[in-house]
Amino acid sequence: MAADTGMPILVVDDYKTMIRIIRNLLKQLGFEDVDEAADGKEALGKLKEKKYGLVISDWNMEPMTGYELLREVRADPDLSKTPFIMVTAESKTENVVAAKKAGVNNYIVKPFNAATLKNKIDSVFAPAA
Amino acid sequence: MGISDKIELENELRKIADYIVTLRREIAVLQANEMHMEKIPAAGQELAAVVSSTEGATNEIMAIAENVLSADASDPAAYKAFVDKEMMALFETCAFQDLTGQRISRVVKTLEHIEARVSRFATYAGVEDQPGHATPHEAETAARKEKYLLNGPSIADEGNTQPDIDRLLASLKGQ
Repeated sequence: MAADTGMPILVVDDYKTMIRIIRNLLKQLGFEDVDEAADGKEALGKLKEKKYGLVISDWNMEPMTGYELLREVRADPDLSKTPFIMVTAESKTENVVAAKKAGVNNYIVKPFNAATLKNKIDSVFAPAA
Repeated sequence: MGISDKIELENELRKIADYIVTLRREIAVLQANEMHMEKIPAAGQELAAVVSSTEGATNEIMAIAENVLSADASDPAAYKAFVDKEMMALFETCAFQDLTGQRISRVVKTLEHIEARVSRFATYAGVEDQPGHATPHEAETAARKEKYLLNGPSIADEGNTQPDIDRLLASLKGQ
């Protein structure tokens, strides 16, 4: 199953520039319905107001990190099934392991390119082997 | 107190006085006021300028890319002229790297200056680091960093590449 290009996507990053980069890459991949949030707290508010097909989040943000956002999303019965991709400069093994344990669907390390983003989105929505 | 005790005490006091004199000289050599009032604030300003110009250039480059991607290509000649003009603007924008490189070099020199003086002073004074002297803000930042694994971008060879992460995720599948 390919990702539905009509689904709303929430991009969470405290750097406007990174949001603009991801928004442009998503546009090139056909995803037009993209909302943004500057940290986990703002993202959580948006997730409770609108149903998103995918969350793409940075890790290191204030006041709420992407890691906390992931755990909050997975702990909320209404949001727990929302696909979640972490896009971050945090590339240490402990970060990847913690994110996986918290229920992340995929993990992209910055800097990344359009092909990596496409590949990771596709693999999140691909049927399990 | 006997005469020999007095002499010994006088010698000890003289040694302490000599040590204080030389320690004062070393503190003066440290140039702490210059560091605090000039060097460190100047380095901070340089780094702020680097952040600002990098962000500005990135936004300009993205605006150029967005303009090209959304341009009307129905008239090939007009489209080529437009793309040529945008590419020239792109080259001009990339000039920011020269300035940021110079600014970062100045910050590196400042850090080397501070490192040399602090190192000399610490060696001379026989200073040993004592734990537990973090400010409340530093302590809070350190606790948050540890709790939420805020390591930041890795230096080369420290972190995992994307293929490493993909392999790691595959090995954790089902956990």
